[in-house]
Amino acid sequence: MEHLGLSLALFGAALAAALAGIGSAIGIGVAGGAAAGVMTEDPNKFGSCLILQALPGTQGIYGLLIAFFVLNKLGLLGGGGAVALTWNQGLQILASCLPIAVVGWYSAIWQGKTSAASIQMISKKPEAMGKAIILPAMVETYAVLALLTSILMLMGVQVG
Amino acid sequence: MGVARLKKAELYYHKSVHEQVAAALQETGACQIISTSEENHRPPADVDALISGIDEKLADVRYLTRTLTPHYVDPVPALDRMLGDRPDVTMSELQELASTTDLKAVCDKTRAVEHETGEVRLKLSEARLNTSILSSLEFFPYPLSVITEGTKTLTGLIGTLKPGSVSGLKAALGDLSKYAQDSELIIAPYDEKNAQEVYAALIYSRSIEAEIKEVCAKNGLSFVEVPASFTGTADEEKEKFTGAVSELEAKEAQLAAKMSELAEQNVPTVQKLSDYYNSLATRYNGTAMSEETDSVMLTKFWLPAEKSDDIRQKIEAISPEIELTLNDPAADEEPPSLLNNGDMVRPFNILTELYSSPKYRGIDPTPLLAPFFWIFFGMCLGDAGYAIVVFGTILYVFRKYKKISLGVKDFITLFLFCSVSTFIYGVISGSFFGNFIDSFVPVLIPLKNSLMLVDPMTNPMQVLGISLLLGVIHLMFGLLIAAYDKIRHGEFIDAVGNDISWFLLIVGLCLFGVGLGGMIPPHFVQVGQAMAVLGAVIIFVYAGKGEPNWFKKIINGFLALYGSTSYLGDILSYSRLLALGFGSAVIGMVINLLGGLAADIPYVGWLVAIVVIIGGHIFSIAINILGSFVHPLRLQYVEFFGKFYTGGGEPFTPLTLSQEFVNVKA
Repeated sequence: MEHLGLSLALFGAALAAALAGIGSAIGIGVAGGAAAGVMTEDPNKFGSCLILQALPGTQGIYGLLIAFFVLNKLGLLGGGGAVALTWNQGLQILASCLPIAVVGWYSAIWQGKTSAASIQMISKKPEAMGKAIILPAMVETYAVLALLTSILMLMGVQVG
Repeated sequence: MGVARLKKAELYYHKSVHEQVAAALQETGACQIISTSEENHRPPADVDALISGIDEKLADVRYLTRTLTPHYVDPVPALDRMLGDRPDVTMSELQELASTTDLKAVCDKTRAVEHETGEVRLKLSEARLNTSILSSLEFFPYPLSVITEGTKTLTGLIGTLKPGSVSGLKAALGDLSKYAQDSELIIAPYDEKNAQEVYAALIYSRSIEAEIKEVCAKNGLSFVEVPASFTGTADEEKEKFTGAVSELEAKEAQLAAKMSELAEQNVPTVQKLSDYYNSLATRYNGTAMSEETDSVMLTKFWLPAEKSDDIRQKIEAISPEIELTLNDPAADEEPPSLLNNGDMVRPFNILTELYSSPKYRGIDPTPLLAPFFWIFFGMCLGDAGYAIVVFGTILYVFRKYKKISLGVKDFITLFLFCSVSTFIYGVISGSFFGNFIDSFVPVLIPLKNSLMLVDPMTNPMQVLGISLLLGVIHLMFGLLIAAYDKIRHGEFIDAVGNDISWFLLIVGLCLFGVGLGGMIPPHFVQVGQAMAVLGAVIIFVYAGKGEPNWFKKIINGFLALYGSTSYLGDILSYSRLLALGFGSAVIGMVINLLGGLAADIPYVGWLVAIVVIIGGHIFSIAINILGSFVHPLRLQYVEFFGKFYTGGGEPFTPLTLSQEFVNVKA
């Protein structure tokens, strides 16, 4: 049982990277499908389509960021050896990972759908690119807030 | 600054000079023709004739562009082209080019090659199909004429069946059946495990044709149509087509080479002519809005007031029989809006235009949002190293490409400006390629630390506080602009009730809260309290205005105060400034960490580390610039514009020369 704390904390890091990553993968996939459809008509839209497709990718990066944050906190990066953790501390770290894991997962999927719709929009109105970028960014707000929550929670957890 | 003042021009001129006048209006690049409001407006006959001539040429140019461009290898890379690396030509040079180029001849040549290519492709696909049919008929040992023509007594058929049905067919028609005397069954060799279908051929006496066909159908044989032209053995026939296929393929390649040659010879010219004829089309579609009498034409257009003298000179130089009258827009007219900002603000115009241009008599929000966007972008990207990379890249681009078009140049300049704020915030938050200094150059740590004013890594609450404070300032600024705009239009009560009241309430609450926290002298607490109460009372009273029922008045008042939750949401939205700045710093940190880990690999470690660090930071710059552009923009559009700006103006679109492929000068 002495490593339960460490295991819980690692489970949290894994959830953050994995769930947010899955969400981004789905979101980018949905947007990519729409982009490919638009580009069969007009290959010149590659640049703007790529930007819109990339938007739901940030959640995966946020998840990775939190995972690294946790690994760093646990002392698992750079050969110093892991810090000792009670199971309670491990659970706290796991809890801190949940906001970005869950919100990252779902918001990326919905952002992907909005991006896909925006891609459809610029296929008909290329001049509306500015508006097309803002609509998916509205969804991302909540991923940013979840990231912030996770960071602040992690900073609050005392270990070692 | 702000929206440029426009004049409405009415230009009367003699028909004989209408071409010169149209050219002059287009050359100035500052005249927007006013579309006629008449429903059945007929363009002046002279202009109409010109337009139909140009339309014909444009059809040719479009056909050539569409057909030849896919075969054209542009010697100039697309990025260079976008940054202005393309030929400079004048309209008179283009006119000369147009008169010496026989577009019709080029079109005819291209059409001929296109047509021939189509025919060759058709033949080729036919030949390929026949070869594949013949390959499957190779098992048939006799000339195919037995099947396609037959002899006096014999004929035959070819078909396919499932491997499972082969034994049944053999039993019904093979050596042991009653048809054995009058028929011969040939089964093509097949792979018993994997074959999907099996070819079978039958030769039989004409006298039993009907019976044989019935037996075949019963045993699941579906007949294959053999083209009547096949008379020799399958191999002989195939040889003919193999020869034809390679001949046709050579022909196709030859035609493709011809097309490439045509493209190479003509595309540069066609592109120039495309810009030429498109310029002319825009020009005369503009003057097509004119009204005419027997000998005089009248064209109406908007022009910026400050350019009116230049334009008057230019037009009056054409002929003495020209009358130009300039008037201020009437109160019921809605002129287009042209943003007129100095060099420092102009690059930010695009942010306003992406949302919606202001109305002619509205406020231009560009100079108001510019400083905030500049700061917010800096906080989101927030890395001195990244700022240096962006700054250096842009300077290099400006040095290398001298002919960048104004729109593209302004957009790049926006990032040049923002790289400065990024550098400043990177220095005061101690971020240089993430934690590059801490990881790899410890010598510089004291220098870095001495310049640091905030430390988001160890004290994020401090930066969160700064972000929210900037948010409050941004929002309150928006409210004051809204109030100013209302007072300007004489709506004093609305300004106080809608905007000033909220300003008092929120600023008061902030002073109160900060004062209680002991960060400012205590008497500010009372000032804050008084402001907040005053603001709340005004909001409460204003919401019930015009409502006779006292009960409803009170309900409305409370509902309005409940609106303060939306301000809470707006302010918290600025926490993204911390989160995104933090994000880019941590991604940088992760890249340095991975680079450091890679450096431990024996022998090649340093190389891997360099690749990881350089590649990683380039990725990080790209992804973070996108985020740092989009999120501050959202703060402008949703939080800031939500307080005072709706846009809704028509952007000013003057007659200009078409510059799709080349830099056309007047």
